[in-house]
Amino acid sequence: MQTEKLEKFYNKNYKKLLVIPFIILALSLLVLFYNYKSTGFFIDRDVSLQGGITANINTNQNIDIDELKSFLENKFPKSDIVIRKISEFTTGKAPGIIIEASNIKDSDIRPALSDKLNIELTEKNYSIEEISSGLGESFFKDFIIAILFAFLFMAIVVFIAFRTLIPSLAIILSPIFDLTITLAIISLLDFKLSTAGLAAFLLIIGYSIDTDILLTTRVLKRREESLFNRMFSSMKTGLTMTATTIVSVGVGFIATNSSVLKQIFAIILIALLIDIMSTYFVNMALLKIYVKRKYNEN
Amino acid sequence: MKIKNLFKRWRIILFLVVLLLSLAAINPQLSVDGVAIRSVEKDSIAYNASIISTAQDAAPTDQELILEIDNKEIKNLEDYVNVINSIKIDDVVRIKTNKADYTFLKTQEDLGLTVKEPATSNLRKGLELVGGTRVLLKPVEKITDNERNDIISVMENRLNVYGLSDIKIKGADDLTGNKFILVEIAGATKEEVESLVAGQGKFEARIKDEIVFIGGEKDITFVCRNDGTCSGVRNCGNVENGYNCVFEFEIALSPKAAAKHAEVTRNLDIIDLYLSETLDLYLDNELVDSLQISSGLKGQEVNRILISGPGVGTTQEEAIQNALKQMNKLQTVLITGSLPTKLEIVKIDSISPVLGKAFVKNAFSTALLVILSVGLVIFIRYRKLKITIPMMITVLSEIIIILGFAALFKQSLDLAAIAGIIAAVGTGVDDQIVIVDEILSKPIGDEEEWKKRIKKAFFIIIAAYATTVAAMMPLFKAGAGLLTGFAIVTIVGVSIGVLITRPAFAVIIKTLLE
Repeated sequence: MQTEKLEKFYNKNYKKLLVIPFIILALSLLVLFYNYKSTGFFIDRDVSLQGGITANINTNQNIDIDELKSFLENKFPKSDIVIRKISEFTTGKAPGIIIEASNIKDSDIRPALSDKLNIELTEKNYSIEEISSGLGESFFKDFIIAILFAFLFMAIVVFIAFRTLIPSLAIILSPIFDLTITLAIISLLDFKLSTAGLAAFLLIIGYSIDTDILLTTRVLKRREESLFNRMFSSMKTGLTMTATTIVSVGVGFIATNSSVLKQIFAIILIALLIDIMSTYFVNMALLKIYVKRKYNEN
Repeated sequence: MKIKNLFKRWRIILFLVVLLLSLAAINPQLSVDGVAIRSVEKDSIAYNASIISTAQDAAPTDQELILEIDNKEIKNLEDYVNVINSIKIDDVVRIKTNKADYTFLKTQEDLGLTVKEPATSNLRKGLELVGGTRVLLKPVEKITDNERNDIISVMENRLNVYGLSDIKIKGADDLTGNKFILVEIAGATKEEVESLVAGQGKFEARIKDEIVFIGGEKDITFVCRNDGTCSGVRNCGNVENGYNCVFEFEIALSPKAAAKHAEVTRNLDIIDLYLSETLDLYLDNELVDSLQISSGLKGQEVNRILISGPGVGTTQEEAIQNALKQMNKLQTVLITGSLPTKLEIVKIDSISPVLGKAFVKNAFSTALLVILSVGLVIFIRYRKLKITIPMMITVLSEIIIILGFAALFKQSLDLAAIAGIIAAVGTGVDDQIVIVDEILSKPIGDEEEWKKRIKKAFFIIIAAYATTVAAMMPLFKAGAGLLTGFAIVTIVGVSIGVLITRPAFAVIIKTLLE
């Protein structure tokens, strides 16, 4: 039977499987450390975390993005500029563009854009977010503190729920893997982290341990079945849970026209994929070792 | 257990009651004719005709709707603009709303009335979804909570006097102890908000270096506005590169300020018809205008003064508009006085209504697609409509209840809140899967066994719930509260799920699977 084969394979190899996530974690730390060494920050931040503007122009005019970009770069050499077309998922139309530029003020860039594109930019067709660099910095610090607190609170809840050291630590390990590896992946994908993205990281802390709690509960509290059956059944449930969430954030990512939601969805999506590995390679293996030692189960 | 008996279970009854209450709180309406009154400028024609601004905390569907003007039916904004612009000066205007009838004379162009599309439900759309401006201000110096409250009340007053009423101003803190003030104004442009809230508005009238009077009710007892006989744009003329207009309006000084004027002017010399020094008007330490003082006023207690200032533009129309804007700003500042401290704009977001509409439309289609795809995954896994349909119904009810909560507690829905709803629904589905798998894991023997299983499922659900709530807690303060909506909606959403919808779902699924 399929399941028996899987059981044999797993029992033979679970310690080897445990090594893979640790290697990936080490590589991720390396990536983040490299970023830190070369830029001073372990992740590239967008204008919402370093100051600058995000302008949204609604127009039917066909805009040559590359040309506009080089024009702006020439005009504002200190600014880091990203320009994207907005595309409407349902109609496929591109009703405008989004410009993100760091270290710049709306009052400088708006006249330049208006001149270049030959469009009068009013409150009807122009949306602007402007953030000072001081605030961007302080937001970033604030969110780092928030993530540390979230992590601490989550850990306390886990310890209260399970009241055993090793299984609790194994659960808490999972979000550490998820957060670190996701951060490394998005930096490799040239993502720029925004405030919304940081909120997504907080959500991951809560989200990612659902499957770990499920696994640990089934393994520790339903001891009438064999260990592998308990693990396998919780994996079936857990993977269904993860699959629905991955599909929903995946569809959300494709369908939404808001860059705020897009980043939230993308980060959750990546983190959930990583979470499959950290739950079933790391947490499950650690639990198996724990149960084997403590209850002598196989 | 029979399906009929389902409705006797308290979990189901609770669920249905909450669902119905939520629908009532949202109060969705298919179509609403007319235009809603957004704001009425103080002392304007509309104001004097006793039309009032919609109260901030009133339910959005409890709105005053303009249905007819001069017996012409008003169905939408376009009708309103057409009809209102066709009325001539000195004509009688008859406005019929769903609450009252108003009749008044149109004595000047600006009625002081702004309108908006009517609300079709009690859901409050956040700034990103309706368009408007949001400003995050940081005091330049350290201030106390009390000082911040003072600033907020001056600001509220200022924006009201200026004629913007769809406003929200509140204090916000962050985790590192910074204090901010968050101002959100629907339907206002960036420039208006910038000049009104960020400028300290310190008005001083000086003769030489002596301050004669300052802005605020202590020195200034009356400011003439919206009255052509004592305020308006007077002289326009050609200047280099364009036009220059002068606005004038009269103010009344308090006895103390008038006495000060007498004292300061007593020792000035008379040169021709005027005194040797001018009365210099400063706004935020910048000179607005210098007024010559007629010789007859030397040493007099003057209690009415004509304030003036310039407005320039490339065309005459633009110069007039700029003069009017300047005048309105100066009048506002003279009435409300200055802010206790200087403020720095650290973040400003201005979202166009067009973009807001696109977000709303897209949010609906995104949510629909997400729900359908989740349904598909569930169906693929269980291959039973008996499981898929109740799950989808639970998901939809959870969304309705979250929205009902938002409507009831005046939580406005912005993009972050929508993300929160999606997150809450995501965990909701997860928990239902835990329940179903727990029930399906072995054939159910007796009631005891069933209770044990549900208990175990709920241990997992509650533990997962507690960790999500714990992880969301820091967001209440982080980032100057800009993501509080996200945190609240997520926490409320998962709480509703754990306390109301999932227990009901467990009962339903058990009945169906038996």
